[in-house]
Amino acid sequence: MATHFKRKGKRLLGVGRQDAIRYFFGGNAMVSILVLGAICGFLLREAVLFFPQHQRDLEVFRLTGQEYANFAITEMDEYTEVKSLANQAFYQEMNEAYGIQRGLVDSFGALSGNIYDAGEDLIEELEDARDEVEDAEAEGEKTLAQAELDAIQAKWDIFLRAELEKADRKTIDSFGRLGEAEWQQLLKAMVEWDPVEDEPPALVAAAKAESDEGMATFDTARTTIAAAGSELARLRGELIKVTTAIKDEAVADKSAASRKKAYLDGSLVAETEEERVELRRKSDEITVREEFPYAERIKVLEGSREKHKTAVEAMKVDLKAGVAALPTEFSSPEVTELVSRIRDKAPVLTVYLGESLMESADWRYDEPLSWVYSVSSFFFGKDWVTNSSFHDFYGLLPLFTGSLLISVIALLVAIPFSLGAAIYVNRLAGPAEQTFIKPVIELIGAIPSVVLGFFGIIVLGEALREVSQVPWLSWVPGFPMQERLNILNAGLLLALMAVPTIFTLCEDAINNVPASFSEASLALGGSKFQTVMKVVVPTAISGILAAILLGFGRVIGETMVVLLVAGNQIAIPDFSLGAGVITQPAHTMTGIIAQEMGEVTKDTIHYRALFSVGLVLFTISLLINISARRIIRRFGFSA
Amino acid sequence: MSNSMNDTTRTATAPVPNNPNPIAKQDAMIEIDDVSFSYDHGQTNVLRNISFDIPAGKVTALIGPSGCGKSTLLRCLNRMNDLVDTSKVTNGQIRIMGQDINASDVDPIELRKQVGMVFQKYNPFPKSIYDNVAYGLRIQGIKNKPKLDEAVERSLRRAALWGEVKDRLGSSALGLSGGQQQRLCIARTIAVSPRIVLMDEPCSALDPIATARIEELIAELREEFTIVIVTHNMQQATRVSDRTAFFYIGELIEYDSTAKIFSNPSVKQTEEYITGRFG
Repeated sequence: MATHFKRKGKRLLGVGRQDAIRYFFGGNAMVSILVLGAICGFLLREAVLFFPQHQRDLEVFRLTGQEYANFAITEMDEYTEVKSLANQAFYQEMNEAYGIQRGLVDSFGALSGNIYDAGEDLIEELEDARDEVEDAEAEGEKTLAQAELDAIQAKWDIFLRAELEKADRKTIDSFGRLGEAEWQQLLKAMVEWDPVEDEPPALVAAAKAESDEGMATFDTARTTIAAAGSELARLRGELIKVTTAIKDEAVADKSAASRKKAYLDGSLVAETEEERVELRRKSDEITVREEFPYAERIKVLEGSREKHKTAVEAMKVDLKAGVAALPTEFSSPEVTELVSRIRDKAPVLTVYLGESLMESADWRYDEPLSWVYSVSSFFFGKDWVTNSSFHDFYGLLPLFTGSLLISVIALLVAIPFSLGAAIYVNRLAGPAEQTFIKPVIELIGAIPSVVLGFFGIIVLGEALREVSQVPWLSWVPGFPMQERLNILNAGLLLALMAVPTIFTLCEDAINNVPASFSEASLALGGSKFQTVMKVVVPTAISGILAAILLGFGRVIGETMVVLLVAGNQIAIPDFSLGAGVITQPAHTMTGIIAQEMGEVTKDTIHYRALFSVGLVLFTISLLINISARRIIRRFGFSA
Repeated sequence: MSNSMNDTTRTATAPVPNNPNPIAKQDAMIEIDDVSFSYDHGQTNVLRNISFDIPAGKVTALIGPSGCGKSTLLRCLNRMNDLVDTSKVTNGQIRIMGQDINASDVDPIELRKQVGMVFQKYNPFPKSIYDNVAYGLRIQGIKNKPKLDEAVERSLRRAALWGEVKDRLGSSALGLSGGQQQRLCIARTIAVSPRIVLMDEPCSALDPIATARIEELIAELREEFTIVIVTHNMQQATRVSDRTAFFYIGELIEYDSTAKIFSNPSVKQTEEYITGRFG
């Protein structure tokens, strides 16, 4: 037994003080790892369970014929895009080519409507009085009725003049298409306006005729295009109705056994005889089937294929005729642009319609569904539609595209700022500037993202929209912007959030470039700028790349700003606009989880779909972090 | 420049104890005239009233114990000390080819093209061998490939490195041995054809064999360049230099021909240092 070097202090269960401290710290590390593992496990389980559920969902989609109805729906959607372009082009052209005429017609409509509303009682009186005069004529008592009519007519004239006096040009002609002269002409013509007959004054009628005549060709073309879809639209409605009915029935059938049992159980404990009988009856009404007779139900679609074919072929013909009939000369480049987009899209649409028709002809309700299809329709699905009365779609593509576009814009904006600032602070700035700039940039990271989002909605969104409406900036793609909340706005704010991350890491990377490299460059007669661009940055490039990657990880995982500012429209942005795509609203992977997770029922397919999105996000972040580490390890130099 | 050239009649600086054997003024490439230098806005001078002339086309060694200011003086000659914001020449003038290099209209970038520098620790850029040598020319805007090729080959040959690297010009300079890297740095420096090459203890990080090769190289280069070398190694100074200046705590103690300094120094401190009694 040791007497000199004996361990001091008490031991509890063989654990001494030093051991306890060691276990405490080790335990802390262990807890973090365990928690991370638990989170990953949970996320993985919930996300992976989505896929079998999605598969079943798609099977029902196919068996009930909803998948067939979906052909018609997508065809209509594609067609509607062309149709609305045609309408848009038509109205824009009309307003530009016949601005004054349309101004007169619309102002007359607004003005007469206002006056009609204001003098409704008086107009009724006037009408009655006139009827009476007519009746009186028959009975030979004309004078009395006529006197009354004259009195009312006089009253009306005074009223009308007073109303016209009150009329405000800016409110009536809200687009400002009329000059003061035209406005006065309209007011003058309106004095003669008769509310009972409600004929427009000659001035207005002439204007309308002139604009109608001028726009006749365009109008015919537009109506032809618009009419092209009527047959398919009707078929679409019918298909949705019948197939959704099958689905509802099938869904109800699935729960038949449990409902039957519930009614039966209820009848056993019913308090009154009446109630017992009623519940019993309800229970008997429900028939439980081994299998839902899809084959029998799907027969309602038998005639549809022929109808579908006819409708689509008719649409193709009408569409071609309508597009061919479009005029070629327009009064503004915007309309020319719109029409050329129609001309570009129409053939694409025609080809698509043909393909879709062929595909739908091959469609079989009982064709087995491969798991590849159900997985790929998640990752590459173009629609994310939930709580729909027709069918819910869980396609990642619109969300992924939104996240990616926003992140790329954020990086494109953030990289030059962060790298420039890092170079300046580390290599060019004096010590005073250094101690000021560095903390200030790092402080940007301290702004809560919800505050940034708020700023994006109120300040940046408004400012961007106002700037985009400056006429001489209209050459910028996507200007003027339709939406205040869009990809660009969100991207700019995320850039601000990425700047501190990228700046700090870039600054570190540049700082790690040995002074001897810059000294050598300077001693060879290099300027400070040459030294930075040709020696410092190339040497630090691996660190800079890693910084950019980590900045990317930062922005793609950001939630609050995109939820508030990106506009939350679940659709793949229209890339046919070129760079203007960034002025469209979008939704993101992070945003959709934050928005929808609160209101889904646990274990439903929607709930699991959100987890799958979360898993994709997690995987992306993980890959980014791993690559950043790799880059630093592999290409980082030791000097 | 014209100043010193025309002034051939001027006699040598009056003999003083620390410079008993001055060079003729017309031979001077660098004139250091009563220079004091400070790293802290002039509060304390690390160099005090240094005066001596460095001859053209010769090797001049600066020796002295650590902290004596020899490296500082070297870095004054191409104004590398400008990188330290608080540094300042507080007194006197340094004239290179007759021009005061601290005059307000002197561009340090132009100065450094004429006054190259080789550092204590070899520091090639993390680029290819070719790019290292071509760097100085490229930043001067020379893009002509044959011209660059020619300059790279000539410089590498002058630095006695061509034979060893001619087959791998495109590979990274960091893959060379230490001695090769230092010779590469010398090649890089002479590629821009400076008039003066400053060497700051160029062999201190090298083994004896590599050192010997660098010393041979210095001997070859002396015909073309004016070389100023700072060294800790007294044998090296005797081997490579024509003249030697001995510094001690910021002052020039003695400046004379190398033979004279090492055989029969005029000042007692010099003798004590070279015989190893202190330092």
